[in-house]
Amino acid sequence: MTRATRWLIVLITLLIALPLTAGRSQNQTAPARQTGVLRLRARVKLGESNALRGLARKRFFLIHGSLEQNRAVVEAIERQSLVTRDCYYTKNGASAALLNWLKEADCESVYCREIEQDFVRGPKAVPEFATAFAASEKEFGNSPTALKWLSTNLPPNLRDGFYRDRKGVLDALLKQAQASSGAAVQSVMTDRNGTAFFTDLGPGTYVLSNLVPTELGQTLATWNCEVQIKPDDLASEKPYLVSNRKDKLVKCVAVEKPAPLCP
Amino acid sequence: MKIGLSSLVLIFLPLAVALGAVDYTKFSHSTTKHKSECNTCHKPPTKNWTKVSQYPDITDYPDHDACVSCHRAQFFRGARPPICSVCHLKTSPREDARYAFRKPASSLQFAIEFPHDRHQDVIALRPQNQPRARFLLAHAPPPQQFNNCTICHAQAAAVSTPPAGGWIDSYAPPAATFKAAPSDHSSCFNCHWKSQEPVAANCNGCHKLATPYTAAVLPTRISLKFMHEGGGEKRQHVAECTTCHINITKSASLRGLKPDVPITSCTECHNKEGLRQDLSKELIALDKNRAFTCTYCHTSNVGKLDAPASHYLIAQRPPLTRRDTK
Repeated sequence: MTRATRWLIVLITLLIALPLTAGRSQNQTAPARQTGVLRLRARVKLGESNALRGLARKRFFLIHGSLEQNRAVVEAIERQSLVTRDCYYTKNGASAALLNWLKEADCESVYCREIEQDFVRGPKAVPEFATAFAASEKEFGNSPTALKWLSTNLPPNLRDGFYRDRKGVLDALLKQAQASSGAAVQSVMTDRNGTAFFTDLGPGTYVLSNLVPTELGQTLATWNCEVQIKPDDLASEKPYLVSNRKDKLVKCVAVEKPAPLCP
Repeated sequence: MKIGLSSLVLIFLPLAVALGAVDYTKFSHSTTKHKSECNTCHKPPTKNWTKVSQYPDITDYPDHDACVSCHRAQFFRGARPPICSVCHLKTSPREDARYAFRKPASSLQFAIEFPHDRHQDVIALRPQNQPRARFLLAHAPPPQQFNNCTICHAQAAAVSTPPAGGWIDSYAPPAATFKAAPSDHSSCFNCHWKSQEPVAANCNGCHKLATPYTAAVLPTRISLKFMHEGGGEKRQHVAECTTCHINITKSASLRGLKPDVPITSCTECHNKEGLRQDLSKELIALDKNRAFTCTYCHTSNVGKLDAPASHYLIAQRPPLTRRDTK
């Protein structure tokens, strides 16, 4: 190996090693990003006689900034006039049996629970399901597939029209919230106990909201509360309780309004 | 001389490709002319679906028309045209047997676009008369009725295939360990067949062209010994999925999706005063012996690492590394 080749090897090695070393020292000195969490617990009371229970399967949102900074969004949330589930389905010609089927599991659309055999034939049959089942049997040639694929033969409005309508309202509010806060809006859904976790949050002030009012029996509940997020870990974070009833442990109480009457 | 040869390869290889030296034994959806509407070639349902499937589906390769319209020359090249081997087991005009659809050994060309958050919004309660629920009723307390992801993620049907190199510590996870992920259209088309977008004919609604890849044989697990269907006789682990997988409901796609189970999900039972102290016990063992391997949840590849700060935090102790241990 000639002297020139040796020098060339040394030079190449240095060129490769220097940026790597520099990168490593940067990594070593960079402070770890501090993040916080929000352990949300939603518990509600339907009427006066019932006990508090976890608010299951409802979405909550975190909008960056204070209530004041997001005043326009909060006002838009509070201003919206919402069509209730019963009104929507009634307006679209749903039978009483379908309304009951949806209400039984607090469903917004037919995808919420599996449609069982009892609901296509016999005394508990939902007329819309029976019609769609007959069409599906004809199309797919066997009953198990016809039952499982029943929703493909339901009219669009009864299938998921209510969900789509709500989503339209929600998407418009999300767009507004993102524009006003200048940051992505985080969203999680509660589990059956009414618990949900917002994780990996930058410390600061946020507005916790459900954006679209939640139907609680005969009322519509809206939550819009300011939350301070500090660097913390799930292991030590205390639950942040939201409810529609005041209590010393409740950090955020819903504004409840009577559900509007169907037009 | 060597330099001269590599230069020739560099010059002539792209030229050869440009002039048509294409490997016709391999089909790529990335080829510009293969990027037209999916139903140009794949017409759902395929003619044979009633023979091979319980439901209408794409169960076979496209007909010859889909290829011949452009590849007539390759179809009639010699007695054994290479292009036939894309679908056919043998390249002979007298053999029409085809590989199983989709071709098992080929790499995957599409990534799946699946918004967990939207599906979480609309799916479902476990039906009360499901066979598994009936079985449980005879042996255990009635199962809880909760919203469930098991519509798509059922219990894995079989024990997993060992990874290359075998199981770590020879620990072969039982079938109850993992949940399955959809591998066909059965849990998609029941809603998305023809009216709910993306519908069956709109393949691109879910299948996004990607760099070819091989699907992972096993899900990545930190705690390999956790069984989804476990938790003792009462099967305490059978809970609502989002109770532990806390970030799933916010995931709008599968990109960068992580299971995200915090240690608090485990320690609600496994490190509770008066109940069990599984975590604390292992941390105490680690205090006494820095070479101790945590094995209650982990295999040794994970169990011999430093316990993360979150584990100490939940045990109400300051974090330590093995180097800190005497």
